[in-house]
Amino acid sequence: MRVSRGLVRGTVVAVLAVSAAVPAALLITLSVSEEWFYPSLLPRRWSIVNWAVASRAGEALASSLWTSTALALGAGLASAVAGFVAGRMIARLRGWRRRIAVFLAFLPVAIPPLALAIGLQFSMLRVGLGGSFAGVLFAHFVPALGYTTLFFIGIFAVYDVRPEDEARSLGASPADVLRLVTLPLLRRPLIEAFALGFLVSWAQVPLTLLVGQGLIATLPLELLSYVSAGQDHLAATAGLILTIPPLVLLLMMGLAVRRLRVVIV
Amino acid sequence: MNELALRVSGVTVRYGRDIVVGDVSLEVRNGERFVLVGPSGAGKTTLLRAIAGFSEDVEGCIDIAGRDASKMPPEKRNAVYMHQTPVLFPHLDIFENVAFPLRVRRVSATEIAARVASALDAMRLTGFAHRLPRTLSGGQRHRAALARAIVARPNLLLLDEPFASLDPALKGDIREAVVAAHAQYGPGFVLVTHDFADAALIADRIGVLIDGRLVQIATPLELFARPASLSVARFLCVANEVQGHADGAGSFHSPLGTLEGVCEGLPSGPAIGVFRPAAVRIGGSNGCRARVADMRVRPDQTTMMMSTAVGLIEAALPSGLGTPSTGDELTISLDPRQVVVFPPQR
Repeated sequence: MRVSRGLVRGTVVAVLAVSAAVPAALLITLSVSEEWFYPSLLPRRWSIVNWAVASRAGEALASSLWTSTALALGAGLASAVAGFVAGRMIARLRGWRRRIAVFLAFLPVAIPPLALAIGLQFSMLRVGLGGSFAGVLFAHFVPALGYTTLFFIGIFAVYDVRPEDEARSLGASPADVLRLVTLPLLRRPLIEAFALGFLVSWAQVPLTLLVGQGLIATLPLELLSYVSAGQDHLAATAGLILTIPPLVLLLMMGLAVRRLRVVIV
Repeated sequence: MNELALRVSGVTVRYGRDIVVGDVSLEVRNGERFVLVGPSGAGKTTLLRAIAGFSEDVEGCIDIAGRDASKMPPEKRNAVYMHQTPVLFPHLDIFENVAFPLRVRRVSATEIAARVASALDAMRLTGFAHRLPRTLSGGQRHRAALARAIVARPNLLLLDEPFASLDPALKGDIREAVVAAHAQYGPGFVLVTHDFADAALIADRIGVLIDGRLVQIATPLELFARPASLSVARFLCVANEVQGHADGAGSFHSPLGTLEGVCEGLPSGPAIGVFRPAAVRIGGSNGCRARVADMRVRPDQTTMMMSTAVGLIEAALPSGLGTPSTGDELTISLDPRQVVVFPPQR
């Protein structure tokens, strides 16, 4: 049987749209309703009381929002820079050295988050960073670095080094080459790697919980507390708040990337 | 001022255990256009990259403008290396591309503006200064890359197969641009190509690199007239080879006739005579019979493929002969001044 390409494409788009739209619609509905019981298709009562409660709990939510943002910005920035360096070094390796380096880069991504969190918790406690912002930041940085390193290994595998060669031959020092050629050429992957690191940190729960020892309150942890307390409507409201910064980031990134004239990958 | 722009002494380049370029020595004077030719895989680009400072495993000595550059990083050599296809910085407009070597040397803005304008003018790119590279044609990009190279005023200009990917019309244009760029202030110049015709048109001297060894350095005329070995002759596409034997007294005997004084110093034994189509004469008392098997019409020369006792040989169509028909029988002989005899290759 011959299936038209348009039908396949339409089905894929529909599945993707529904899988994103249904949870979003549920969250929005939950956040603006008070009573919504099975098997009712729609809530019995609509209300913005959850948003009012959320705003009353504003100080705690704002504080956790700032903590999450600071952690995600720090982890995103640090992992983008470190991933860039590591990816470039690994891409230049050959043979068994390369295989070992790629394996090591893959470890933080491959290890289950809980196992990684337990390992990092132990390490952070040993160096006196347990329960501290710095400790949690480092813990978020570890998996984010795994992702950004793998991302940059792919980028540098197809990266054209000829502009760098020409620049050096034209008299540019390695620092000049980095500043005037490499970074401008790789602006887009760098922005994308930052976003990747940001999102990895933004959604972290086990690492924050274990390494932060409950002392570092982030938005996902606040959300988790609402869920575990059975406050579904409030959790939905907090969940919506949780989605806003990444959406803003993605929007800004999209605009920034669109303005870039060059992509060299 | 040192007269030598480049001195390469005993340079060997390895990739792992393989020797890609072996014990190469050559000199290039200031203002001289030196062209390295050789078949694909001969090590031309490897040698050029070693001179530019891009190869790690290099033995031997490389002097640029009288200074030992063997251990210098590329940016200290003042030798501009240009890739086969022009590599302009895609995020910079043409002005900034050409200004790049001056910016990294911290040249004043006034001088940058003047020198860039002059280089763009020389390369017929005035008016393109604020265009991005991707908006330029292939030829314009080549000229922009040349402008950027000359504005840096290097001691040495290193060009890697600059004509390889160009159509014939554009090739002529870029060849002229290369010569013009070099003539601007005359640095040492090393160009790599696999095309002997390009080399002959541009070079003061040509070096032939085969299997990583520099087997001959000569002017284009000398090289064409007297290739140093059978492999050089074959690379130069001398076209015709005839098996025969040297008699030890300077004469070469083959089914195409006896040629006296063409192999002085060659011991008695088997030998191979090589010659261009122009060496074949129609007529001659000491000739042999040949039949026209095919005509090859080219824009610059028409040749005949002649069926002889030693197989097919290519002969230039002399003026005044008219156009023979396929199957015509003619007497041919060889001009001994244009025949080079070598012992057979082992």
